[in-house]
Amino acid sequence: MQDIPGHLHPISSLIRHANEIFFAMGFTFVDGPLIENEWYNFDALNVPKDHPSRDMQDTFFIKDHEGEVLRTHTSGLQIHYMTEQIKQGILPPYRVIAPGKCFRNEATDMTHEAEFFQIEGLAVGEDITLAHLKGTFTTFFGHLFDSNVDIRFRPSFFPFTEPSLEVDMRLTGSSAPEKLRDRWIEVGGAGMVHPRVLENCGLDAKRYRGYAFGPGLDRIAMLMWGIDDVRLMHSADLRFINQF
Amino acid sequence: MKVSTRWLQAFFDAPLPDAEALADGLTFHAFEIESVATHGDDRVLDVKVTPNRGHDCLSHRGIAKELSAICDVPIAHDPFTEHAFPHTDAISVALDPVLGKRYMAGYVRGITVGPSPQWLKERLEAIGQRSINNVVDITNFVMFTTGQPMHAFDAHKLRLQEEKYALGVRRAYAGEEISALDGKTYALTAQMPVIIDAHTDTAIGIAGVKGGSAAAIDDHTTDIILESAQFNPVLVRKTAQALKLRTDASQRFEQELSPELCGVAMQYAIEHLLRLAGGVLEGVVDAYPEPQPPARVSLSVPELQQYVPTFGPQDIRTAFTKLGFSFTEAGDVFTVLVPKERLDLTLPADLIEEVVRIIGYDHVPSDPLPSFPHAPEIHPRFYWNEMIRSFLLEHGCSEVYNSVFSNEGDVVVLNKVDGKKPYLRRSLAQGLMEALEKNVRNKELLALPQVRLFEIGTVWQGETEQIHMGIAVEPMKKASTAEEILSALAAYLGVSLSHTTKGTVVEVDLTPVYANLTAPAAYPPASKLSVRYAPFSKYPFIVRDIALWVPESTAADTIEALLREHAGTLCVSVRLFDAFTKEGRTSYAFRLIFQSFDRTLLDTEANEIMESLATLLHNQGFEIR
Repeated sequence: MQDIPGHLHPISSLIRHANEIFFAMGFTFVDGPLIENEWYNFDALNVPKDHPSRDMQDTFFIKDHEGEVLRTHTSGLQIHYMTEQIKQGILPPYRVIAPGKCFRNEATDMTHEAEFFQIEGLAVGEDITLAHLKGTFTTFFGHLFDSNVDIRFRPSFFPFTEPSLEVDMRLTGSSAPEKLRDRWIEVGGAGMVHPRVLENCGLDAKRYRGYAFGPGLDRIAMLMWGIDDVRLMHSADLRFINQF
Repeated sequence: MKVSTRWLQAFFDAPLPDAEALADGLTFHAFEIESVATHGDDRVLDVKVTPNRGHDCLSHRGIAKELSAICDVPIAHDPFTEHAFPHTDAISVALDPVLGKRYMAGYVRGITVGPSPQWLKERLEAIGQRSINNVVDITNFVMFTTGQPMHAFDAHKLRLQEEKYALGVRRAYAGEEISALDGKTYALTAQMPVIIDAHTDTAIGIAGVKGGSAAAIDDHTTDIILESAQFNPVLVRKTAQALKLRTDASQRFEQELSPELCGVAMQYAIEHLLRLAGGVLEGVVDAYPEPQPPARVSLSVPELQQYVPTFGPQDIRTAFTKLGFSFTEAGDVFTVLVPKERLDLTLPADLIEEVVRIIGYDHVPSDPLPSFPHAPEIHPRFYWNEMIRSFLLEHGCSEVYNSVFSNEGDVVVLNKVDGKKPYLRRSLAQGLMEALEKNVRNKELLALPQVRLFEIGTVWQGETEQIHMGIAVEPMKKASTAEEILSALAAYLGVSLSHTTKGTVVEVDLTPVYANLTAPAAYPPASKLSVRYAPFSKYPFIVRDIALWVPESTAADTIEALLREHAGTLCVSVRLFDAFTKEGRTSYAFRLIFQSFDRTLLDTEANEIMESLATLLHNQGFEIR
């Protein structure tokens, strides 16, 4: 056996770290199928059929399988998880993360890939607030980048959250990588779970609230390591992988 | 949507802040801004209106309302005014309520078609629209002001029967065709709503999408019928999609517009028409079988505080007032009479978003999550994948991700944008074999004694989605094989791993394996993330070796340092690959790799560098072998 160790893919590496950080905050890792039924990928997430909000995502439909798609986001895992818990009679609090591959039917270039990775997060309880969402992002990105971090919200829209937000971070202090230090960087979408999404899973939306988020891991990796081309993630090129 | 700041200013008496400040205000309180551009003496914002605000904000008036709330400047000239129109018996309208909620037809006679005044041309051109003539420009101006699409028909091109025009909205007949204003003929299908001249039962417009050429306005038009209508959003969307004819009108109708907009737009259009094209309003016909009832939504202070604990009643009051909402307060409950165009406001959560974004997300504090009452679960699949990864890394395998798309497979996707590889892979083998071949070519550059790869990923066999693991190992004498690494892994996991072999790749379906693995107690700690990454050259590299005799006392490091110092920037690697001592002398062999970042290097360039290095070493008293 040779003694030069191999290298972990940077996305696997990020998932491993994300899981560690979120585990310490009480989050359970979950996963799910890449081919999703439209109920999980769209309808239950308050994305009605024939509504312009479906245009936000270019979807791969599966031939001869009406109503099945390659998941366009990891958000469907919110539905899988909550529905499954209710079925077992387990009520909130819930905390889960679901990192995984997603698909967009779009042309690829240096910043766009048909296959990409998201990390879904969901916290539901009687006491979850927008302030907790800010706090969670602060903890997560602070640990991930091993730096002081400020978090900023901007208004946005996702059918499955209300309010919906874009989240920016700013790394500060001497441990922040110089290229990223002291500037605002967009890190992903988030929001408070839409009451209809909770109800679609069988939860009482008057009693429970939650937040959800879904930043792109490819983007975070590109920021963290200064990677200039997202297509390297699926290049299987050790000139790339073996640097990590 | 392109928004002209001069257009916006017309809604206000007080001067608005500059375009950058407006862009900033919108960014942090309403919408993302794609760009801020200059058009003549106008500044134009490209506002990314979100799908929930297509009801009201695909319009200058909608954006002006937002800015009024954000910048705290009152709107002085609101086109949404009370209106009453004289009725006319000269037109009848038949509307199927499934196809649309309202159809207003305004009859204006004696107009003069001509060029638009300069200000109107400038407004339209600033947002990328072409000026056509005063009548058409007014309908567009009204749409971009109010968000309500309008259309104008030349009345004389319609059938007059018993001194009456008759309009209707019906579904197209199978096989029906229409020649549209864009000069093209569209074949309609039976689901598509069309506007008809009911006297002749012929289509004169594709409802909500495009007008027909049959009743188009031309230079000689004198009498027009103005259409201001509400159409079924789903049908408009499907029609526009099927005809591949997405227009400014269809884009608005498919968002669902309030039928209440029809009246304000008609009023605004008639005012401008009479002023800019002359003529007399004969009257308006209004088919509006079920007027939109007033909507009220309530928000209590505790509900808001469940989202942001530090917010209070004064924040609600401030936000609602800035937004111009009509609201009442009873105890800690605020009830809003929802503005008619704001179809997005139906739940307390919608009002919470209004309050928080207007007050500002920067006022939301950052709180740590409360502690979780029970320990999170360990996910067995993820845990075991992690253990497998760690084991394979220790055994010299690097992890790759390949695309799931393939030239063959059991599952196929529709409409893949790039048209390539529409199948989902049945196995990892093909991708791993190709990856191995590619990486073996770079072996010298990678400085690996043997290239070893693995992948853990999803494949589709028949109807089932499976998680597979594949190991690909470069075939070499006296070196490990993929099978050997796999058996070591099986021994480590304590389970048998039944596998398939294809070329250099062994592959295991992990799906049934997880069940045989005992549930873990905790995740292993993650090692520190690496921080260094440098882009690499995509150009071919050149390998050259140099061997020399040195006195036994000379360290390899000394020679290596010499080589590095003098090999130049094209040398990307210097590596000792052989050393032995014989009769008081040591032989070192070094391998140098040359590569350029911006071009394919020539052999002669590498040779020249090697010659100069040989000369240098020789001059230092070393013997080149």
